[in-house]
Amino acid sequence: MRPSARLAGLCAGLLFSHFLCAAEALPQRWVSAGGSLSEWVVRLGGQDRLVGVDTTSQHPQGLRELPSIGYQRQLSAEGILALHPDLLLGSEEMGPPPVLEQLQAAGVRIERLSARADLDALEANLLHIGEWLGDRPGAERAVADYRKALQQQADWVARARAQGESPKVLLVLGHAGSGPMAAGRDTVADWLIERAGGRNVATHTGFKALSGEALTALDPDVVIFADRSLEGDAARAALLEQNPALAATRAVHDGRLLSLDPTLLVGGLGPRLPDSLASLSAAFYPDQAPLPRPQP
Amino acid sequence: MTVVVRPRPLFVALGLLLALAIWLSLALGPVSLPLGDTVRAGLRLLGMPLSGDGLARAELILGQIRVPRTLLGLAVGGVLALSGVAMQGLFRNPLADPGLVGVSSGAALGAAFAIVGASLFGGWPAWLAPYVLSLSAFGGGLGVTWLVYRVGRRDGQTSVATMLLAGIALTALAGAAIGLFTYLADDATLRTLTFWNLGSLNGASYPRLWPLLLVTAAVAVWLPRRATALNALLLGESEARHLGFDIERIKRELVFCTALGVGAAVAAAGMIGFIGLVVPHLVRLLVGPDHRVLLPASLLAGAALLLLADLLARLLLAPAELPIGIVTALIGAPFFLFLLVRGRA
Amino acid sequence: MLRTEGLSVSRGGQSVLDGLDVELRAGEVLGVLGPNGAGKSTLLAALCGELAVEAGRVELAGRPLADWPGPERARRLAVLPQSSSLSFAFRVEDVVGMGRLPHASGRRRDEEIVGLALEAADAAYLHGRSYLALSGGERQRVHLARVLAQLWPGGEGRVLLLDEPTSMLDPLHQHTTLQAVSDFATQGAAVLVILHDLNLAARYCDRLVLLHEGRAHASGAVDEVLRVEPLRAVFGLDVLVQRHPERGHPLIVAR
Repeated sequence: MRPSARLAGLCAGLLFSHFLCAAEALPQRWVSAGGSLSEWVVRLGGQDRLVGVDTTSQHPQGLRELPSIGYQRQLSAEGILALHPDLLLGSEEMGPPPVLEQLQAAGVRIERLSARADLDALEANLLHIGEWLGDRPGAERAVADYRKALQQQADWVARARAQGESPKVLLVLGHAGSGPMAAGRDTVADWLIERAGGRNVATHTGFKALSGEALTALDPDVVIFADRSLEGDAARAALLEQNPALAATRAVHDGRLLSLDPTLLVGGLGPRLPDSLASLSAAFYPDQAPLPRPQP
Repeated sequence: MTVVVRPRPLFVALGLLLALAIWLSLALGPVSLPLGDTVRAGLRLLGMPLSGDGLARAELILGQIRVPRTLLGLAVGGVLALSGVAMQGLFRNPLADPGLVGVSSGAALGAAFAIVGASLFGGWPAWLAPYVLSLSAFGGGLGVTWLVYRVGRRDGQTSVATMLLAGIALTALAGAAIGLFTYLADDATLRTLTFWNLGSLNGASYPRLWPLLLVTAAVAVWLPRRATALNALLLGESEARHLGFDIERIKRELVFCTALGVGAAVAAAGMIGFIGLVVPHLVRLLVGPDHRVLLPASLLAGAALLLLADLLARLLLAPAELPIGIVTALIGAPFFLFLLVRGRA
Repeated sequence: MLRTEGLSVSRGGQSVLDGLDVELRAGEVLGVLGPNGAGKSTLLAALCGELAVEAGRVELAGRPLADWPGPERARRLAVLPQSSSLSFAFRVEDVVGMGRLPHASGRRRDEEIVGLALEAADAAYLHGRSYLALSGGERQRVHLARVLAQLWPGGEGRVLLLDEPTSMLDPLHQHTTLQAVSDFATQGAAVLVILHDLNLAARYCDRLVLLHEGRAHASGAVDEVLRVEPLRAVFGLDVLVQRHPERGHPLIVAR
């Protein structure tokens, strides 16, 4: 054999064995604790790796069929071990710490990813997930698409804001219309409103219950409602029925009540966010030509 | 209401029940281990040089998860039942609950402070963070109980009736403070608080276990030494004094034991209701009110029942887990109602 | 055995006992009579150390009562309260057995004494029953048996204080109970009993104290105390004092 051929063979062998090693090291059985993380895993093609998810992983529908490991802050060591996972994926909120220690001792790889609503954090998360799935290029593409979609969104909003006044927006989270909690600063909801081109009229921090009178006084142009138990028109009807004070607002007068999936509001930036932003924007600025829907 | 069982057969039955509960607690779990592996892993943990396939995994699950969890269940169930006996004796009421002296509400307040405070004050120092919840719950329980005791005390005498009322008032006050923390909490914190209030033996680990085991052992040794004093106390405080007992000291010891025991149990496992109320009551129905039998029997019964409740808690929804407070309340509350209805008939 | 000297007690700023001298002697039953609010129960509370003494002294066997260590005192001094709030299902012999708690006489001896004390209180037939299943009068006798067991076998140096021990008893048991108390005194114990029934007091007591507004209006032998004038002064009651046809002690009849 000629030396060069031998060298090429060696290289191929090395490469191949390297590839094999990498494939072996990839975690095959995943448990995911964290709604948007699970959603991203599915989006990046890892649905069949998932063997269990927590109660905040509600989207897409297929995840609800998987065994539930309970609430992300109250995980059970033995329950998770029974699923024989290689990898436990979750946010900083995952716990309690002694259970994580026990899982680690049992040889489960534990990866904590940031749930901050922040593009750089998201990029890091997606690249990690891509690596563990063995598809880093796919993750890079997803990141680029996401950035692009958000950039287009930002440009669109900037144009819209230049031409008209940004609407005053209130987002309420409720349960079958009752006990609405208004989203204030430092919430994903606030981030959404801002990015969609609205102005959040609630100035408190976090989610707080507001009285009917306070709702009226804020007089939002648009009300977004995220209902945990009802959807669409039923939620709208329930909200108006339970909170007659809303009827006095401009939003109700103009019929500008928007429904939002409450699962978008937990666990950081999810893959459905650009779509939701685009449709919120379209509703905030009905006179502008809407953004073309990004590819699914 | 006559005695149904003699003490000796009762102790034999409770001993067997407890042994069964311990065995089930060690042998069953969401991870199904072959029986042989469990036994061999157990023997290995006890120091026998055995080896075999899958033994490392069995040893880990047994040694790091099930054994500490079982020990935690034994201690929490036992000390809650003992505290229940002490309080029912102190208040001379078979339906008294350890929470009457404010220890539970104080612990809940401490827990709310620790959980919500973490996000309000920007977190606890790292070296303290793992223990803040336990310490704060324990301190809250002890603090409120001390207040209740102080209010009940006048002219060197402690009025049990005043303590009862002070307990109700301070529980309401603690409730208001907890409400305030709840209002300030964000969603995730609120959820943690809710789960804490339902109790769990999940995540038992040795460093958290030792203080509770120590307290439980102390209470389990101390209270039975006061069994005859508790019997005399049931006659009435003056009667017990005329029988030569230092009643003020006994009352102080009972309150202290309860605060210590319940405080430590709650700090380790969160709020677990009904064990302290129902177990002593049930045992009393079986063997009568003599504390020389009632105290050790309640210790055994409380430990066994809590282990069995925990078994349900971790198996019913596996791989997720039900808070154990839900299980004890689901079993305890209807049983309590049954006792009330039966007592009236 | 047990005596007070210049005993004064006040409650809420009001004087309840005012310079009272009382002495219980070995082998005697001392009856305490008086209308409601005369200070009978306060006297009993002060005599058993339940109430702090303001002025004067209470002595048990020549030593201030407060100086006695609890268990030692309990072996000499027993108290039967007017009523009991025991609401737990002890067996009768367990309740009586509590009287033996200050002693270390061993289980066998204790069981024997419990049996004897129940017999003395005419309650032996209640053995084995649950306390909660008893009538009020039966419970009262069980508690009498308990305090008797506490001082068993009686004799010199023991003091028994009884607060209306017959309040819930039928006529027959009023007599059997006081007879038992009187027999207990005959064996050497000093007994104080608060009574409302003047004729029972006349029959079973050796000496009487007639309390009125915190003072001893009259005291001494039965014949000296149970007279028309003191009874009118203290109770505001017009009575005839006659003699018991067979026993000769005074018999009080309201006019």
